[in-house]
Amino acid sequence: MTFETILFYVLALAGIVSALLVITRRNPMHAALFLIVNFVALAGIYLTLHAQFVAITQVLVYAGAIMVLVLFVIMLLNLQNEQDLFEKRSWRSYSGPILSLLLLALLLRTVAFVSGGSFDRISPESERIGTVANIGQQLFTAFVFPFEMASLLLLAAMVGAVILAKKRFP
Amino acid sequence: MPDIIFQSTKHFWPEITLALTFIAAMIFEFATKKRTTGTGILVLLGLAAALVQLPSAPSEPVSIFGGMYAIDPFSTFFKYVIIVTGMVVVLFSFQSQELKKESGHTGEYYCFIAAVTFGMVLMTGSSNLVMIYLSIELVSITSYILAGFSKSLRRSSEAALKYVIFGALSSGIMLYGMSLIFGLTGTLDLSGIRTALASGHAVTTGWSFAALMAAIVLMLAGFGYKVSVVPFHFWTPDVYEGAPITITAFLAVASKAAVFAVMIRFFYVAFFDNMLASTGVYSSFRNVDWSMILAVLSVLTMTLGNFVAIWQDNLKRMLAYSSIAHAGYMLMGVVVMSNFGLSAIMLYFVMYFFMNLGAFYVVMVIADKIGSENIDDYRGFGKRAPIISVGLSIFLISLTGLPPTAGFVGKLFLFSSVMASQFIWLAIVGVLNSVVSLYYYARVLKNMYLREAPDGDESPIVFSKVTSAVVILFIIPNILLCFFYQPVLTFAQRSIAILLPGL
Repeated sequence: MTFETILFYVLALAGIVSALLVITRRNPMHAALFLIVNFVALAGIYLTLHAQFVAITQVLVYAGAIMVLVLFVIMLLNLQNEQDLFEKRSWRSYSGPILSLLLLALLLRTVAFVSGGSFDRISPESERIGTVANIGQQLFTAFVFPFEMASLLLLAAMVGAVILAKKRFP
Repeated sequence: MPDIIFQSTKHFWPEITLALTFIAAMIFEFATKKRTTGTGILVLLGLAAALVQLPSAPSEPVSIFGGMYAIDPFSTFFKYVIIVTGMVVVLFSFQSQELKKESGHTGEYYCFIAAVTFGMVLMTGSSNLVMIYLSIELVSITSYILAGFSKSLRRSSEAALKYVIFGALSSGIMLYGMSLIFGLTGTLDLSGIRTALASGHAVTTGWSFAALMAAIVLMLAGFGYKVSVVPFHFWTPDVYEGAPITITAFLAVASKAAVFAVMIRFFYVAFFDNMLASTGVYSSFRNVDWSMILAVLSVLTMTLGNFVAIWQDNLKRMLAYSSIAHAGYMLMGVVVMSNFGLSAIMLYFVMYFFMNLGAFYVVMVIADKIGSENIDDYRGFGKRAPIISVGLSIFLISLTGLPPTAGFVGKLFLFSSVMASQFIWLAIVGVLNSVVSLYYYARVLKNMYLREAPDGDESPIVFSKVTSAVVILFIIPNILLCFFYQPVLTFAQRSIAILLPGL
């Protein structure tokens, strides 16, 4: 067993266990915290697949920004009795598992289609595409124009957020 | 690659000027410690500088920045409409009392007008899905901020919040559509999508065809939200009512023009074979009958817009529903997708610019005087403020589309383009809708001329000379364009060249 394989099994185990904990914890706060563990484990798996950029965005955007939002919403909603949410059985509680199974089928089908039926190798293209070097090169050659426009968009959004959030102007 | 960028920038100066205006206005605002009128003048000069560079745009379509952006007569036409609207809105804002109450940060208001104009101009030329998304987001985010600008007013903040929530949803829907298209064709470039669809490799099975149709519908939902097409119109009345009226006018005219430009470019370049069929209609690949989807949307939009407008008491809200109805009329031109239809839409936008901005200006000055936008408070205005009342009457008649006003010519060409493409029933629905719209526009006229002021007050309401002059300046084109529309029509007909691969 190579080091990479061991690493994969460790990360995969962490990912599966944390995912199971997300859906079994009754306390939404605990579930959200385990979701962060799951995101970090996934980021590790992305790294073993040579997708450095995706791994970093996974941590920065999902485990960072989005989870902060999720925690905010949970706190803002201020659920008095979280247990009650799980008491009511409706069609909605069955739609979750069905949708998850459909997603699993779709993912398996896609991966099988792309890798030609085998799950034990990385295609050489995908090893090249996800690297930071490749994304940086694309960003500053073919996509330099959208890149610059995105910077203007972010500038406008930033100034706008300050204006809207500031209480009183002198 | 650097060569391409340097060669591209020489066609890109109007946009660069607008972006620099935005940044310069922000620095100026910061450096001069809130000389807000100064910022406004700076933005006005920047917009004017961008405007004077437009005539030197190449007459043949050019693709720049490696296919990301297109410079063609079609986008240049819409850039004129957008930049001129931006300038008019800045001028209106100088006079608005509503904005003076927010005197603490009106400087930023002008900066954002520069930013939103830049975004809209960027929209007209975007020829790559990434650019389409970025430019739409630039316009959306700045519009959210502008809509919520009167922070002291509750309804303004409400408008901004509703706008953000609906806007975020529609961007998500549109992004999903884009991702489906990317998955099917493997490219983000509009001309690349066209080539992939034409070659037949992208859509081979029934499933991928279904995915393509789903993608088209999702994209339509995204565009439809921005031009407030039914059933994606829910935000429009609240946002139009709550936003500062100058911004409402801007959203109603320039934002619609920009989205129509990008929507037409998207469908025209990606999905239409440019072989003209015998009917003069472009045939779409694989006979996707999406013109029927659009026709139904257009009928729903104008009918709902017009019928709900009947029950509105707030003139701003009524104009919001009327703008929904107008989006429906203009969508008819997209349905037929013929050269005639495209030039009719462009002609209509020029007419719409004059009648709508005139109407919003009058609503603004009256609201500043009497502090109300309620139609009942317009009673007796015909005697008390004759020039303003005549102006509003002409703008509303123009919006209805009756001669002798600009709106009549606009509707005439739009409906005849629909008739020419064998969509007779659609044209009939359009005409019937115009009749319905007469009812609620006439209600305003009835209040102004036939009913007395509630307390018998007949003292004249004095408006400044500038106000009267502006109203007269808007009346003149509304009448003149009914008879001398030929130059505008010729210009529109010359401007229908859209960049296509291989041109």
